[in-house]
Amino acid sequence: MFGAERAVISLVRYLAADVLRGQRYLAPVIVFLGVMGMLFSSDAGRPLEAYSGSSALLYPIAAWMAVVVATSEDAVRREITVVSAGGWSRVLTAAAVVAVAIAVAMALVGAVWPVVTNPHPYTAREFFVGLGAHTVCALLGVGVGLMFARPVFDSIGRTVLAVFSVVVLTYPLGRATPLGWVLDALGHNRFSLSVLWAGVVGVALVAGAVVVGVRRA
Amino acid sequence: MDGYLDGVLLDQVSKRYGRGPWVLRDLTLEVSGPVVLTGANGTGKSTLLKIAAGVLKPTSGRVVRPASVGYVPERFPSDVKMSASSYLAHMGRVRRAAANDVLERLGFVGSLTAPMSELSKGNAQKVALAQAFLASDVLVLDEPWTGLDPAASAELVSLLEDRTALVSDHEGHFVSATRVDLAGGHVTIELSRVVGLDALEALEGVRSVLARGSSARVVVAPDRSDQVLAEALRLGCSVRSVR
Repeated sequence: MFGAERAVISLVRYLAADVLRGQRYLAPVIVFLGVMGMLFSSDAGRPLEAYSGSSALLYPIAAWMAVVVATSEDAVRREITVVSAGGWSRVLTAAAVVAVAIAVAMALVGAVWPVVTNPHPYTAREFFVGLGAHTVCALLGVGVGLMFARPVFDSIGRTVLAVFSVVVLTYPLGRATPLGWVLDALGHNRFSLSVLWAGVVGVALVAGAVVVGVRRA
Repeated sequence: MDGYLDGVLLDQVSKRYGRGPWVLRDLTLEVSGPVVLTGANGTGKSTLLKIAAGVLKPTSGRVVRPASVGYVPERFPSDVKMSASSYLAHMGRVRRAAANDVLERLGFVGSLTAPMSELSKGNAQKVALAQAFLASDVLVLDEPWTGLDPAASAELVSLLEDRTALVSDHEGHFVSATRVDLAGGHVTIELSRVVGLDALEALEGVRSVLARGSSARVVVAPDRSDQVLAEALRLGCSVRSVR
């Protein structure tokens, strides 16, 4: 329906403006840029290998950012927005779009950074593999963040605990998780189809979080 | 949407939060024109308004509402960083509605471009009302007179007079509207030697059951008290009093 799309686009503009007016987005951005600076302060290794650290970093940062986006409006203002928009599904879709857009922007930063700072030369192919890997990790993070943020979990304490637990548990599980598929491929300085499959999981996770949110609200 | 009427229809609506007590039981209400909702604190006015506006889903029952609903919550948040003018502009775009003159009519004073957190309570309430009046069909307002000065209160009444609106108001601002008392009176049945408490609780019209040892106090909607009483006797309970 054309009207619904227009409403979602207007909601994306509104929620993005609201996130920017609040300053909670600054904390994940500063942590991201600070750790990026540390990761690439010296020779970070072969082109794709160098991307594994920043991809691993982007996963929790994107989850954090998704929680910031999902909870930027307090619960009462969110109710007004839901009534104005004509339903939870439009608002949660718009919030997911904003979270993904910010995550993709950070993925771009993550992919460009070593091209500028790493002494190893990058081919275009390596750059796009890196951009894809970062985007996949960011999508997985956004999915995890939205899955436990309001309206799925109403209290920010439970949200933080759940997101932190999942993020911390993801790393030791290694290649058992989609994040592990991506990091494994980058760590071996090669591209594999499993990165694409991880991307499919990431998109499914984000979409699933929207659906769960609509059902829970 | 699925609205076949201009107003809101709530059909046999019940609501409980999780496994908690019933906040609303079998409530049927058709809103066309201005309707004022009254009732003591805790009778479920805000819950009913949230269900009518579409913020909450009822546990059971059916709600039919038109496409464009405006909603003002009981307390508009006081820590919003966005300015009033950009908030209203964004809400207008979301609704694809033209700006209205509600702020001027309510006598808004203060900065439209400063963060809304810097506005006084009354002026923030006027912004909340202005966004709700962007809606073209129904208004659902929870205690909208809170914080308004007398002039703005009178203006709000005149703004509402020709609208379809469901408004909670326990201070009697809106005398010309149809009144619906949410408590609606009730019948209290005191029982002793209680058996089958769960069966009683599940009966239509039962608002609450308070068990103390082998006795219980059952609060029932007036129109269902005969059936509930008959069922209590059939189950073998003793009736101590009905008031």
